[in-house]
Amino acid sequence: MPSIAVAIVGGDAPSPHKRRLRSNSALIDNPVINTPSKSCPPVKSKSARQRVNDSPSTNRANVETGVTKMNNNNNNNNLPVKKLLDGLLDKPIWNPTELGQISVVKEALHVSTAPSMAVCREDEQKRIVEFCRQSIVEEKAGSLYICGCPGTGKSLSVENVKGCLAVWAKETGSQLPDILTINCTSLSSTSEIFNKILEKSQPNKKVSGRSTPLKQLQQLYFQKQQSSDTKMMLVIADELDYLITKDRVVLHDLFMLTTLPFSKVILIGIANAIDLTDRFLPKLQSLNCKPTVVSFRSYSMDQIIMILKQRLMALPYAVFQPQALELCARKVAAASGDMRKALGICRGAIEMLETELREATCTSTLTSMVRVDHMAFALSRAYKSPIVDTIQSLPQHQQIVLCSVVKHFRKGKKDTTIGELNKFYIDVCKSTLIPPVGVMELSCMCRVLGDQGILKLGQSRDDKLRRVTLQIDEADIIFALQGIRFFRNCLQ
Amino acid sequence: MADTTPTKRLRQTPLKSPPNTPIPLTPQTLASPRRSLRFISSPAHSIPPANTPVNPKPTRSKSAVTLNNNNNKKLYGNDSIKDDDDDVIYTFSPISPDRTETKKKRKSKAENTVDRVNARVSETKIKIKANTKTKRRVYYKKVSYDGGEFSIGDDVYVKRREDDSIEDEPEIEECRVCFKVGRGVMIECDDCLGGFHLRCLKPPLRAVPDGDWICGYCEGRKLGKDVKLPEAPEGKKVRRTAKEKLLSSDLWAVRIESLWKETDGSFWFRGRWYVIPEETAAGRQPHNLKRELYRTNDFADNEMETVLRHCYVMSPNEYAKAENEGDDVFLCEYEYDVNWHSFKRIAEIDNDEDEDEDATHDDDWSGDEEDSDAELSDDMEYEEEEDRYTAARGSTPAREAAANSRKGFTFGLQKIGTKRIPEHVRSHKQTELEKAKATLLLATLPKSLPCRNKEMEEITAFIKGAICDDQCLGRCLYIHGVPGTGKTMSVLAVMRSLWSEVDAGIVKPYSFVEINGLKLAAPENIYRVIYEALTGHRVSWKKALNLLNDKFSNGAISSKDDDRPCILLIDELDLLVTRNQSVLYNILDWPTKPNSKLIVIGIANTMDLPEKLLPRISSRMGIQRLCFAPYNYLQLQEIIGCRLKGIDAFEKQAIEFASRKVAAVSGDARRALEICRRAAELADYRVKSSTSLPKTGKSLVGMSEVEAAIQEMFQAPHIQVMKSCSKLSKIFLAAMVHELYKTGMSETTFEKLAQTVSCLCTNNGITFPGWDTLLRIGCKLGESRILLCESGASHRLQKLQLNFPSDDVSFALKDSKELPWLTKYM
Repeated sequence: MPSIAVAIVGGDAPSPHKRRLRSNSALIDNPVINTPSKSCPPVKSKSARQRVNDSPSTNRANVETGVTKMNNNNNNNNLPVKKLLDGLLDKPIWNPTELGQISVVKEALHVSTAPSMAVCREDEQKRIVEFCRQSIVEEKAGSLYICGCPGTGKSLSVENVKGCLAVWAKETGSQLPDILTINCTSLSSTSEIFNKILEKSQPNKKVSGRSTPLKQLQQLYFQKQQSSDTKMMLVIADELDYLITKDRVVLHDLFMLTTLPFSKVILIGIANAIDLTDRFLPKLQSLNCKPTVVSFRSYSMDQIIMILKQRLMALPYAVFQPQALELCARKVAAASGDMRKALGICRGAIEMLETELREATCTSTLTSMVRVDHMAFALSRAYKSPIVDTIQSLPQHQQIVLCSVVKHFRKGKKDTTIGELNKFYIDVCKSTLIPPVGVMELSCMCRVLGDQGILKLGQSRDDKLRRVTLQIDEADIIFALQGIRFFRNCLQ
Repeated sequence: MADTTPTKRLRQTPLKSPPNTPIPLTPQTLASPRRSLRFISSPAHSIPPANTPVNPKPTRSKSAVTLNNNNNKKLYGNDSIKDDDDDVIYTFSPISPDRTETKKKRKSKAENTVDRVNARVSETKIKIKANTKTKRRVYYKKVSYDGGEFSIGDDVYVKRREDDSIEDEPEIEECRVCFKVGRGVMIECDDCLGGFHLRCLKPPLRAVPDGDWICGYCEGRKLGKDVKLPEAPEGKKVRRTAKEKLLSSDLWAVRIESLWKETDGSFWFRGRWYVIPEETAAGRQPHNLKRELYRTNDFADNEMETVLRHCYVMSPNEYAKAENEGDDVFLCEYEYDVNWHSFKRIAEIDNDEDEDEDATHDDDWSGDEEDSDAELSDDMEYEEEEDRYTAARGSTPAREAAANSRKGFTFGLQKIGTKRIPEHVRSHKQTELEKAKATLLLATLPKSLPCRNKEMEEITAFIKGAICDDQCLGRCLYIHGVPGTGKTMSVLAVMRSLWSEVDAGIVKPYSFVEINGLKLAAPENIYRVIYEALTGHRVSWKKALNLLNDKFSNGAISSKDDDRPCILLIDELDLLVTRNQSVLYNILDWPTKPNSKLIVIGIANTMDLPEKLLPRISSRMGIQRLCFAPYNYLQLQEIIGCRLKGIDAFEKQAIEFASRKVAAVSGDARRALEICRRAAELADYRVKSSTSLPKTGKSLVGMSEVEAAIQEMFQAPHIQVMKSCSKLSKIFLAAMVHELYKTGMSETTFEKLAQTVSCLCTNNGITFPGWDTLLRIGCKLGESRILLCESGASHRLQKLQLNFPSDDVSFALKDSKELPWLTKYM
C-alpha cells in the first residue's frame, strides 16, 4: 500500500532523502518480502555522508558537559525537541560489533526492564500516591480507577507507587498497608479475587467453609474491629475489566467493599476503558462512592522521545541518531502512543543495523549508529499493512477469485454467495482460457482467503450459500494486481 | 544373613575371587568326572497334563541327593570361614541340599568345562535314557545345566544375540573412578547405578551411608554443571555388567515357567519375559526406578543354551529388604500386558490366581515338604551363593546359542512389537517407483527443507537472539501463512539444529515445549500442558496457572533446572482465543515480565490475528511477525525434486506440471506431494498390471499419470458420479439439461421432465420406463445430491433442480458410449 509506505517517511521528519525513500517504498511493495539489503543500499551511502555532516567531531569533545546538561533537561518536562535531541549527540558513538554493547542496549530497551522512574507520568503518579497517602492517614477506605490505552505506563506507575509508599511510610513512621497485587486475567474464576483479599487480610485464619469469602469480608468490614492495629489494605487489580460478568456482581461487590463502614480496603483498579465505572457501576454514584478516576493519556511524541532517552541515558554511548528516534516517536505517537510498540520498533531497528553490519563486514569504519532508514524500515515492518504483499503473492486462481469479486462488487453489490461467485469466476477464467477449478475447490480457496483476512465468509449449512464479503479495500486489490496485464484489462 | 552393615546394596567384591582359591574342594563323593547337567528334583505332576511324568517320585530323589552330600555339609562351614577373610562377612544359615548341589556343580565346573553334554551322572543318564525311549518331553522342576542350577520360578538372563560373548563380561562392575574390580567395598549410586569404591570417593567414605546415596558426578550434573566422568585408562576396555546390558536391552531377562528335555536330548525352558520400562509402549516414565522391570504375559520357549545366569527379580517388599544381593537385583511390581499395553500390580494378579489355578506352584513346594521351609527362609543366602558361584564361573566358554535362535519358535520380544524388526527382514528390493512413493509420503521427514532458508534464518536469529545473551529477555514471534507452506516444519527444523548446537555446547540448554492448539480440549488446558512439560507434574489447569504465574511473573524458581530459558511453540494459536481472551493475554504477558525467560512462538493461518485481538494483547505481542507466503511453482518443483533426489522415477516435465498446477490454485506443498505420490502409485499400478510385457527399461512417471492424479484431486467427484450412473439416470439428467435449455428456467417439475424423457426415449428407440421407475430414479439422484428435489413426498408436481452447472452435466454425459445420442440434446 503506497499510502502507508509514504506516510512512514512522511510527517515533518527533516530528511533530505525523503524523495528517495518514497521511490524506495515502491520497491518495498514487491511481492518479495522486504529485505533490508534490497531497500537500503541507495540510502545507505547517502545517509552515511549525512551523518558525518550532522555530527561534527567537536561535539564528542565535551561529553562531560553534555551529560550534565542532559540531567538538567530531565527535570524539565517541556523542553523543545531540538534541545532534547542534542543531548544524545554528546556521547561517543557505540560500537555495535561488540556483542556486549548490543545486549546491554537491547536490555535497556526491553519491555521488561522497568525504568527507575516513570518519566512523563509524574503527575499521575503523584495523584495516586497522594490518594493512597490520604486514605492511609485517615484510615478511610476508598477506590481509584486508572484508565488509559495499552502501553501508557499504568501498571508501571502503580508499581512505582508501591515503592513510593514504602519510602513514605519509612520516613513518616506510619504504618505501611498490606499490598495485594492481582492481575485479573490470572484468576481462574472472577470471584476468586475475594478469596485472595481474605487470605491477605487474615493470613493466619483458616478459611472456614461455611460462608463465601465475600460474605466473610463483608462481615469483617461491617463490624468494628476489636483490635485497633489492623492494617489498611491496598488492593491493586490490574485489567479490572476481566471481572465484568453478565450481572456485574463481582465488580460491584468489589467496589462496595470500600463503602462498608469499617472497611480497610483501598482499591486501585486498572483497565483500558475510560468509562468502565460509569458504564458498569452506575449505582456507585448514587451511593456516593464513585471512584476517583486517573486517566493516563497516550504518550505524545515529546514524551516518547523523553522516555527512550531516559532509558538510553544510562549507556555511555550513543546508539540512535536523534532523527531516527524522533521519527520513531512521531510515528508511534501518531498511531497509538503505545510505548511497548516504540520499544519494539527501536529494537527492530537495532536488529536491522545488526544484519546490515553482518552482511557488509568489510565496511567497518563507516556507520554504526541506528539511522533514519533503519528506523523507517522497522516502522514499516510494524505498521505497514501486509495486504498488498499478500495479494501479490497469492496463487493465480485466488487472484482470479479476488478479481471476479471486485468486478462483481463494482455493480454496487455488497455481498454474494459462493455459488454466485463461482459463475463470475468461471466467466473470468473463460475470458482468459484458463481452465477453472471446481466449485469445491473454489469454496476451499475462499476459506483460505478468509483465513488471511481478505474475504469474509458467512455461516451456512450449504457451502454454496455461504455469504462472501470483501474485507479489504477494493483499491488495494486493484493496486496490487495492476502489475499483471491480464488483471489490469480485466478490472478496467 | 550378612548383617554387618545396615545399608544399601553392597557390591561384594569377594565374589569376583578367582575360581580356584577361595572355594573349598568338594569331597569326591560326587565321583562323576563331570556333571554339567543334571536334574535334582523330578518333574512336577501337574504341569501340562498331556505329558505325564515318567520319572520317579520327587520327594525321594531329593533326599537322596542330600544323603549323598552329607560330607559336603560339613565342609560348608569351613567355606564360610574362609570367606571371612574378605571384606564382607557372610554368615550362612542351615544348609540346604540345593546349595551343596551347586557347590558340587561349581566344583566340577572349575575342574573341567569342556564336554558338558556327555559328562553326566550315571544315574541321571539312566533316567534320561528311559525318557528318550518314550520319545516324550520330560519335565523337570530343577535342572542343573552348564554349571548353573535352574528351577522353575527362577529369573535368568537370556542372551539376545548369538554372538553375545560372556567372556568379557564382568560379574561385578568396575569402579567408576579407578576402573578396577575388587579390593574393598563398593557403593552404588542411586541415580546412575555406577559403582564406586568407598576409598576412591572424594572424600573417601568410611562406611556405607544410610539412605539414598548419590555420587558426586550425578549431583554435579543436577546442578547443571558440566561433569566429566573419569576416563578409562588407555587400552582398558570398558566392560559392562549383565545388569547394564539388560538395562540397555542387550540382554533379556526371563522367568522360567517350566523346564523340559526335548526328545532329542536338548534342554528347553518356557520363559516369561521381563521387559525394561523402555520396551513398554509407555516408554520409561519419570517414576520408573532404575532397576525396575515389568513382567509380561508373553511366553516363549527357548533352549537352555541361551541362559546366561541367574538374576533376581523381586517384589518391592523383597527388594527393600534385599541388601547384599550383588548387582543382579531388579524390582518388579507390575505385570505388563503386551497386547493391551496395560499394567497391573502383580500382587493383585497373584491373589486372583491363587484361588483358581496354578496347582503347579503349590506342588513345587509341597513336593519337598520338609525342605520347603528351609528353602524359603534362606532364600537370600541361596541367591548369594549362586552369585558367588557364577563369579567362579568366569572362565566358562561362551555359549553359542542365543535366545530364539531356533526356527519355528516365536521371536520373543520381537513378537511383541516393541523391538524394531530389522530392515533386512522385509528385504524386498524396492523399485524406484516404490522408493519415490515412500519418500513422497507426507509423514516422511525430508532431509533438507529447501525454499525456506530465509524464514528459517530469521527464526534462528530470533531464538538465538533471545536465548544467547545472559539476560534472556522474553520475546514473542508470530508466524502466519496459509496451510502447507512449511511453518511448523521450519520451526521444528530450526529447533533440531539448535539442539545439535546445544549438544555441541555452543548454545546454552533450554527447554522446548510444543503445543498444538487443536489438541487441547479447552484453551485453558494449555496451562496444564505447559506445566507438565516443564516440571513433569500433572495438576489442574487452575493450579497450573497459579504456578506458572509464580514462575514467570514473580520469578519464583522452584528447582535448579528451572532457570533455563523456555521456548514455547504454540501451533494454531488462533484456537486459544477465548471469549475474554485471557489465555492469550496470560501467555503473551509473561514474556514482558522481567526474569521470565520465556520465548513464545505462535503459528496460525490468519494474517490479521493480532489485529483481531484486543489491543492490550496485540500490544504485548510485539511487532515481530513472519509471513510464510504460498509456494510458487519453482519452489514446489524444488521441494519435490529435493525429496526425489537420487530416485529416478519422475519425468522432469511431470514434476513441473504438478507443481505449476498446485501453485496456481493453492501453493500448498502437501498437495503437490500428494499429487506426485498418487501419480507414482498410478504408474506403479500400471507397471505391475502389465506383467505380460517384458520390462522395457525404466518406467517413469509421466505427464499422463500426473494428469490423472490431478484430475482425481481437483475434479469434483460429481462428474465421476454422473459418468458412472445408470443409463436411465443419464437420460434423466440429459432431459434436465434439455429442459433447462428449452425453458431457460433452472427449476422444473417432475411432470414436465417425464414428458421430456418420454420424448427422448421414443425419438431414440428406447422404451419409456414408466413413471414409477422414473420417479424412483429421480429420488435416487436427489439423494446423491446431483439433483435438488423439493422436500416432502415425491409426487408429480415435485420441483427439481440441477445441483451442478449444466456444463458439468453435459461434460460428464458427452462421451457416454452406451448413449451416444445424448450429445444431441446438450
